[in-house]
Amino acid sequence: MIKYSFLTLLLFSNFIMTESLYNFENAADEKRFYSLIKEIRCPKCTSGSLASSNAPVSIDIKNKIIELIKDGKSDKEIKEYIASRFGSSVLYNPGFNQDTYILWIAPFVILLIALSTYIFRRKV
Amino acid sequence: MITLLRFIIFVIPISLISFLYFFINDNDYYPGADFKVSDMPAFELNSLYENSVVNNLDLEGSYLINVWASWCITCRIEHGFLVQLNSQNIPIIGLNYKDERNDAIEWLGKYKDPYRLIIHDYSGSLALDLGVTGAPETFLIKNGKIIAHFSGEVNKRVWGDVFAPVIKKEKVVWNDQI
Amino acid sequence: MLIQIAHFLAILSTGLFLTTFVFSFLFTKRDKNITRLISRIYSHAFLMLTSSFFVYIWLALNDNFSVLYIAQHSNSQLPSFYKITSIWSAHEGSMYLWIVFLCLWGFLYSSYSPNDNILKARTIGVISLIAVGFLSFLLLTSNPFETILPIAPMDGADINPVLQDPALAIHPPMLYLGYVGFVIAFANAISFLINGDKSIRWEESVRIWSISAWVFLTVGIALGSWWAYYELGWGGYWFWDPVENVALMPWLAATAFIHSLSVSSKSQLLRIWTILLSIIVFSLSLFGAFIVRSGIIDSVHSFANDPERGMYLLSFTGILVFSSIILFSYRLPLLASKKLITSFSKESFISINNIIFGTLIFSTMLGILYPLIYEYLYLQKISVGAPYYNAIFVPATILACIFLFFSIDSKWQRTYRIINSYASMLFSGVFSLAITISVMFYFVISDLWILISLFTGLLIIIRYLFVIFEFLKNKKYSNPYSIAAHIGLGLLIISISLNSQFSSERAINIKINGDDIYKDYRIKFDNLELIKMSNHDSVMASFIIDSPSGKTFVLNPEKRKYFTRGQITTETAIHATPLKDIYVTLGDQLDDGSWIVNIQFNYFIRWIWISALLMAISGSFLAFSLRGTSR
Repeated sequence: MIKYSFLTLLLFSNFIMTESLYNFENAADEKRFYSLIKEIRCPKCTSGSLASSNAPVSIDIKNKIIELIKDGKSDKEIKEYIASRFGSSVLYNPGFNQDTYILWIAPFVILLIALSTYIFRRKV
Repeated sequence: MITLLRFIIFVIPISLISFLYFFINDNDYYPGADFKVSDMPAFELNSLYENSVVNNLDLEGSYLINVWASWCITCRIEHGFLVQLNSQNIPIIGLNYKDERNDAIEWLGKYKDPYRLIIHDYSGSLALDLGVTGAPETFLIKNGKIIAHFSGEVNKRVWGDVFAPVIKKEKVVWNDQI
Repeated sequence: MLIQIAHFLAILSTGLFLTTFVFSFLFTKRDKNITRLISRIYSHAFLMLTSSFFVYIWLALNDNFSVLYIAQHSNSQLPSFYKITSIWSAHEGSMYLWIVFLCLWGFLYSSYSPNDNILKARTIGVISLIAVGFLSFLLLTSNPFETILPIAPMDGADINPVLQDPALAIHPPMLYLGYVGFVIAFANAISFLINGDKSIRWEESVRIWSISAWVFLTVGIALGSWWAYYELGWGGYWFWDPVENVALMPWLAATAFIHSLSVSSKSQLLRIWTILLSIIVFSLSLFGAFIVRSGIIDSVHSFANDPERGMYLLSFTGILVFSSIILFSYRLPLLASKKLITSFSKESFISINNIIFGTLIFSTMLGILYPLIYEYLYLQKISVGAPYYNAIFVPATILACIFLFFSIDSKWQRTYRIINSYASMLFSGVFSLAITISVMFYFVISDLWILISLFTGLLIIIRYLFVIFEFLKNKKYSNPYSIAAHIGLGLLIISISLNSQFSSERAINIKINGDDIYKDYRIKFDNLELIKMSNHDSVMASFIIDSPSGKTFVLNPEKRKYFTRGQITTETAIHATPLKDIYVTLGDQLDDGSWIVNIQFNYFIRWIWISALLMAISGSFLAFSLRGTSR
């Protein structure tokens, strides 16, 4: 056992052991956590969520999220917390505000216009 | 009807491709630089050498914060420029990021110490609040507000492109007291 | 020496393709002999290109590190299979493969299409022109033939260990075959537009090529997704990453296209849509190549972060798109059909399908570009990810499926009174509803969209089962390919929804010889051993897992360290059951000697690949049944 630990430490000694254990108080918290880390982007990686990253900063953020969940913060508050520190690009949801409403509305508007054009054109 | 169709099928690709064309060529934003103004986060940590408490109220005026660690290879490359800045009386506060105290002190003994003060952030809590994703990173703070942030090695070119313009525009006067 | 030969052959082939193009547009008299001549020249050009490529493969297999690209991406320690696949692991080589495949499709078309096809010569001409454009790009900006002389390195840099994987090795070729396969439809459409005779039935001859290309595209995307699932270690299979989206858009356009094609091949209806879609599919393929290779978007796939290459590809795409659009616009009056689409005919449903798919393509494009536009306008970065795409795709897909449901018994060019199928529709609706409600109560599901998706998927599958039943009982004719593919679609929707609903994971802390319990599964950490392989060291853990139903199995996740680059990877261990995958990865070791182990239950994930496979298989059979129709 000691031999194995030594071997692994030797092999992976350029790794900083920062991953730690996630302790949740209940199943709902756990579910929230795993869902949240899929919705927040890893700030250091070219692409990918926190869930897919083991970068040190990702691990730190994940631990912070657990802390915030334990503190009773809501999903929205947690996302805001992370976004205020790492930038709003760290959220996969660009939000619905005056700068982004076109993004959300355009598809539905286009679909509506196209379908109505199709239906009404045939009646003419 | 056909005219409308023609209009649509022309306008969409033209605007798309022109936009991409301009985007590729125009690069107003400097990769790694962030000029979003935010508050310097509150913190309370220990200094590296003396192991005495430092908190954000101790830091006033304008200064730089440089995130570094003994395990960070690029930091060694950046180090020379920091020594230069220090010799020009620019106050740099070191943020020792996720580093063992002894490793950090040893590193500073080996290479020179360009910092007026070093905060030992073993857990990375202040770094998290600053939005640090790795080392090296450098922040310019004026009166409690972060006015410039660069991720990556700061050298003469980066200093001239990123920090110098802000220093000039914001009329930054360095804090001698640190 | 050999590399110079390969280089020369590539240049020569470019010249020959150019000649083919020139001839095809020079000789306006359309007859069999001219067409045969042009086909011949094209074949020779293709032969030269493939010879060049085979020489290149030979060089890679024989560790010729005087070639810069091979030195950068291969290594003498690699197994031969991966020496070959390393050719398309980065920009220059994959571009080379892309071009070879493009010309391959052209070659197949040229060989199997009869020479009395009026459009054939110009079609080959267009394909040749595109080949010339890409070859110039390759030779001028992304030359795979560059050498490091006079002193070649002793050995190559190893390729990323993550790329030494069979699925990932085949994923690009499949995908590329799909992307470039639509050049035939595109070139035919352009040729038809130039020709101007609206009585020419080009659609039927193009069906087999388009459907085959669609199959490859489907398989390519599914392979990429499957690889990401088992290799990346966190159990996801689709991330709405820009590069995935840029592969999805051509697939959506291609699917809409082949449906629209089936309408246009039978009548003069929807010709505008069909031609427009053929232009869109191929343009999106080019656009995809541009996005991935220009570095304009951050992604794991960013091959070449080079603005010069980006500019070239963008210009090339731009020229192609503009010329096609101008031509298309000019010929619009020719294409407009005099007849109106009959209400509730099959054509009407496919029209609506085109509109919905068009909206999806538009939305995906908007989602990819929005961060760029935002950054340009506000100098700040935002991300557009899963929340956006799910919000658009889920309702749109459900809408499309509802129309599909009603379209099943519709007829070509005739109104079908939907009420005539009321029995099967009613029963499908009732069964689906019953199953959905049972599932809802039994598993306590409260997510409305998941329930709606489940209901929709069931609706499609059960309705098609009725179709099969009616075929068996009343010998009522149906299209078997359509049945199988659409059942695949229904299955896909159900699998995705249930996977999203039921999957779970946990990071557990476990010592060697210790055990833990997750969801009634007992996990015993049996052993940890160090294994030495030819290019990496591995720490392999052994877990004995007892399921609540009494079955026992062993899982062996690993952590590997590769020598050449010092890279560390985690290898997932998966135990597949019909209902779910039990998915285990090894995390880090803690100071007290215990290990963090990530265990996941991924429900119905195998069914996602099975649905994709079902769609691909039905497409393949359809393509196979069409052989001999290319005229």
